[in-house]
This record gives sequence, structure tokens and C-alpha cells, in this order.
Amino acid sequence: MRFIARYAKDRGRVFEIVTLYDSEVQKEQVHKEKPVIQTLSHEHPAALWFERKMQDDFGIIVEDAFDKRPLVHQEQFPKNVHPMCKDFDAKELDFSEFQPYNYEVIKGDGVFQVSVGPIHAGIIEPGHFHFSQAGEKMLHLEIRHFYTYRAIEKMLEGKTLEEAKPIIERISGNESIAYQICWRDILLQASQQELPQALQKRHAFLLELERMIHHLTDLGFIPNDAGFGAALSLGSKLAEDSRRKMKEITGHRFGFGAIDFANKFLDTVSLHEWLDSMQESIDYFEDWIIDIPSLWDRLDTTGILALKKAIKYDTVGVIAKASGLAIDRRINNFYLQNGFEAVTQLSGDVAARFKIRIAELKNSLTMMHNFLQEDDTVLTLNTLQDGEYMSFVESSMGELFMTIDIKDGVIERFFARDASFVNWQAVHLMMRNDIIADFPLINKSCDLSYAGNDL
Amino acid sequence: MIKFWNKRVKLGILTENPEFEDEIKTIQKEIKESVKKKFAGSLALRMVDSGSCNACEAECNALANPYYDLERLGIYFVASPRHADVMLLSGIMTFNMTPHVLEAYEQIPNPKWVITLGDCPIMQAPFERTFAIKAPAQEHIKITHHISGCPPSPKEIMQGLLEFLKKI
Ligand code: SF4
Repeated sequence: MRFIARYAKDRGRVFEIVTLYDSEVQKEQVHKEKPVIQTLSHEHPAALWFERKMQDDFGIIVEDAFDKRPLVHQEQFPKNVHPMCKDFDAKELDFSEFQPYNYEVIKGDGVFQVSVGPIHAGIIEPGHFHFSQAGEKMLHLEIRHFYTYRAIEKMLEGKTLEEAKPIIERISGNESIAYQICWRDILLQASQQELPQALQKRHAFLLELERMIHHLTDLGFIPNDAGFGAALSLGSKLAEDSRRKMKEITGHRFGFGAIDFANKFLDTVSLHEWLDSMQESIDYFEDWIIDIPSLWDRLDTTGILALKKAIKYDTVGVIAKASGLAIDRRINNFYLQNGFEAVTQLSGDVAARFKIRIAELKNSLTMMHNFLQEDDTVLTLNTLQDGEYMSFVESSMGELFMTIDIKDGVIERFFARDASFVNWQAVHLMMRNDIIADFPLINKSCDLSYAGNDL
Repeated sequence: MIKFWNKRVKLGILTENPEFEDEIKTIQKEIKESVKKKFAGSLALRMVDSGSCNACEAECNALANPYYDLERLGIYFVASPRHADVMLLSGIMTFNMTPHVLEAYEQIPNPKWVITLGDCPIMQAPFERTFAIKAPAQEHIKITHHISGCPPSPKEIMQGLLEFLKKI
């Protein structure tokens, strides 16, 4: 069974703990006076962050966990404050006394620590990487995040789905369409309606366009981190072209506000032409880059995640596919009929993740041709029913899971698990045989979201 | 290799692509002159993300793509606040990032300026204040200029930098 998420809900006198696997949902209730649960992290190491988060958010005690350090609440966060409980309503917290965080380190003769971040050298989101080094060799890496923690789960409580939309689409900017589609699916479940095929195609087109932009950016940045700048010039040019296309179609360069229920005019002829020209550029790019041996010297065998580990850590998305795990939320009739092909690689290294991105890119282009159609369907929504809803979307990073409970017409509990949240927990496994200079390259090859992870 | 050179000739120089807005060219020219005059030809920016959704960062990265190519105007994103003239602050100043932002600001040598980028730092984005947010940034730090947008496009960022250069 693949573990997907574990989260809690405040239910008055009890906490409800939901554990979600790919084939089942388990629910357990614990009394608030003795909120003790058992850890799943022995079988599913990725459960660890979920459990540490519950401990911060609700004060739930994970009795047999080997790691009970705070996760979201950092050094100066007030102690014993559990903001996801319903009785917490402060809008402001003061900094409390600095309490050092105990990093996981390896100690020994000549072993030293390197700490990087939260503010990084490049233009990138904040996060902290803590290395234990023996010379250049990385012995261990602890990844510590939640610097961009905005408490979005709490922010959304009490809002209608409509009011929540502008915030949900801004959780992680480069996955905005994916978040919007998750929101859309929850809305449709609540209104008990089916999405007309034409709208589904329009949204799927935009989702693939978003994936294209993301992959093209990475196809430039990964070689750049191995010292091959020409790829960045070409990759970022193509990414910019696609971003402008996004603006042309949706009116916004990241597609904020793009997912709605009215099918608008698409100039299908020019879009088919544009897709063909992109196809040509990408074929050229592949042909060219495959032929540069000094680049592949760096990408091959760097940052390997073995299949066994990829399964054990319940990874998803590009990382899982590069290690041989064909997990993809697009494996369904709608996508298969429109030309979806699952891609996998076996080597699990930076090169494999790079090749997955190229293959997905090409597959996206094929599907986008099929998604294009002229149509002006408009769907009018019924009134929304209260209930507990869940949805899944394959974002450019992997499986995105969102769940919303609606009570009296407003959001009672919101929870989202970005693909990054599980994948980040597997990144340290890729460092075992590499030197610290490889880290930026390995990290870039995964290109995970910080904002989506932190919420 | 032959293929590569063929492609290069075919693509030409994108930054001089005539179909690409003349407007940008004017901005670029003005920026270049202004940087030359006020910062001896090199203006160093330190980008600090205080809790953004990453779209603002993506647009800053886009400034380096061949269409905009900000560096040739003398504006650089530097790796350390100690090399910087200006802090470009994006994101919503989360509780967890605020101490680090202030620390980075301390490290920038005088004279120094802060430009806020995007609607987040001044609390104009759709996010609402929660216990985990310390924005607006002006409550913590002196802001010289603001570039609005959610996110501001690369062109708007260039325009904003130009306005900043005119202001000081
Ligand atoms: S201003 Fe808008 S685009 Fe920029 S970080 Fe905030 S939400 Fe994202």
C-alpha cells in the first residue's frame, strides 16, 4: 500500500486522525485529554513529517516516534501553542525566546557541519540544508523547511470555496493550475455535477502547458548547475515563449484565475502551429544535448535514488518515475484516450530525472494537440452540499492531494499535500555517494516546491 | 556541433528581435544609463524571499532569459547581502522568515535600499493576516520603492527598477 497522507481534524472533544493510502482511508479518534497516537514512520518513513506537523498543529503526541522535534514551529515560535485547534484564534504571535533546534548530525574525527540557508545564493525560495561532511563527501543531509509557512490551512477556515480560490491558486505559483484543478474537483463533488468534456479538455490543456513551462525551466537549469550555460539560454527562452502563451490564453502568465466553468475562445489553428514549432525546438534541444558527453559525465550516476528506497519513502512524480515507479494520476481513461503515455527510467540518477522531463514534455505536446477544440460550453453550478471531499491531480511535480471539509457552506478544514512534501523527505537518500558540489545539481534535478511544502 | 551553429544563426539574437516590444528597449536604455551614472555601471541586487508563492522568484529568474537579459545593463543578482546595494524583497514576511530578513538587511553595507517586489510584502495579495505572517514589510524595515503586481512581469520589474533609479 502506498502511503499518501496523514492529518488531523479538531472535532470538539476528540481529534480525528485520517491516514490515507492509495487504496484505503483509515480514521481513528483520540480524546483531547489524552491525544496519543502511534507512529507509522517505521513502515512509512514519509509519515514522519506528517506526524511532526500534527504535533505542532494540534499538540497530538506520537508516542513511539523516534523524532519528536518541532517541524513547523521554529526557534522563536511560542511553545505549547497549537494553532490548528479550533479554540485558537489569535491573529498575532510574538517572538519567544530563541530555542536552538537540534540538527541530525553525524559526529566523529574530522567530520564537520555545513549549514546552508534559509536564504540561498540564487533566486530561490527559503529552506535550510544541514550537511555532515567528511571532506567533500556528504555523510548526511538534514533538510529543514517551513520558512514560508503562512498558515494557509487556518487562513481558509470559515471561507466559502469561492472566497478561498484566489488563495488556493497562490499556494505554489508554479503549480497554480494544478491547485485550481484540485479545487475544481472538490467544487464539483460538492455541487454533485459532472464536468462537461469540453471544459475538462480546456483545463487539461492548461495543466499540460504549466507542466511544459516547469520542465523547460528545469531542462535549462539542470545543465546550468553542471556548468553548461547554453542549455539555460535555450531552455529559458522556450519557457518564456510558453509563459507568454499562457498569458495569451488565460490573461495571466502563471494562469492565476484560469480555471473556471466557461469555455472561452481558443485560436486552435494558431495553437496547433505553435505546438508544432515547440515540438521542433524540443526535438532539436534533445538531439543537441544528448550529444554533449562532458555534461552526461556529470548527470550520469549522480544523486541516485534506488527503486527500493523510492518505494519505501512513498515518493511520487518525476522522482518516482526516474527510479522506475510508474505512479501518475493521469493513468485514467480520459488521459489515455488523449495520448497519455507513462514514462519511467531505471537508473534513478540526475540523468534519469532529466530524461523523464524531456519525455513528459514531448508527451504533453501530443496530448495538447488532442485537447484543443473550439467550444463555448458554460457550466452553471448547483448549490454546494456540505461534506468531506478529496481530490488528486498530477501537477508538474507529481501527485497533489487536497481535501476540504465543508460545514454550513464554509470550509471547516482544509489540507493539501504537495508532491514535494513526501519527495523532500527522500532527497537526503540521494546524497550518499556524492560530494557536496553535486548537491545543487541533485536538488535542481528534483526541483521541488518550498511554498507548496510549507503551505 | 554544426547543428548547433545552424540553430544559432537561425535564431539570431533574441534580445534584438525587432518583433519584440520597442518599449522594453527604451526601458533598457534608460536603465543602463542610470546605472552607469548612479552606481558606476553596476547595481547589485540581493533577492530575499520572505515567504512567497515562488511566482515572483520565477519572474526574477526570467529577467535572465535571452529576451530580457538584465545583466548586460549592469544589474546583477548577487549571492550575498554583503555584495549588495539593494535588497529586493518578495513574499509575505512569514513569522519564520522575519528574523532572517532583518539579519540579511543588517549585512548589507551602507548606503542601502529596499525594494519590495510583488503584492505580498505590502499585504496587497489575496492572503490574509494570520499568526504566521508578520507583513506588511514596512513595519519592520524602511522601504524605498515598491514594484506592484502578482507577480509583476519581467517588464514591470524592469520598469520598477528604472523608477527606483530615478527616485534616488
Ligand atoms: S505577490 Fe503574488 S506572485 Fe508574488 S509571491 Fe505573492 S502571491 Fe506570489
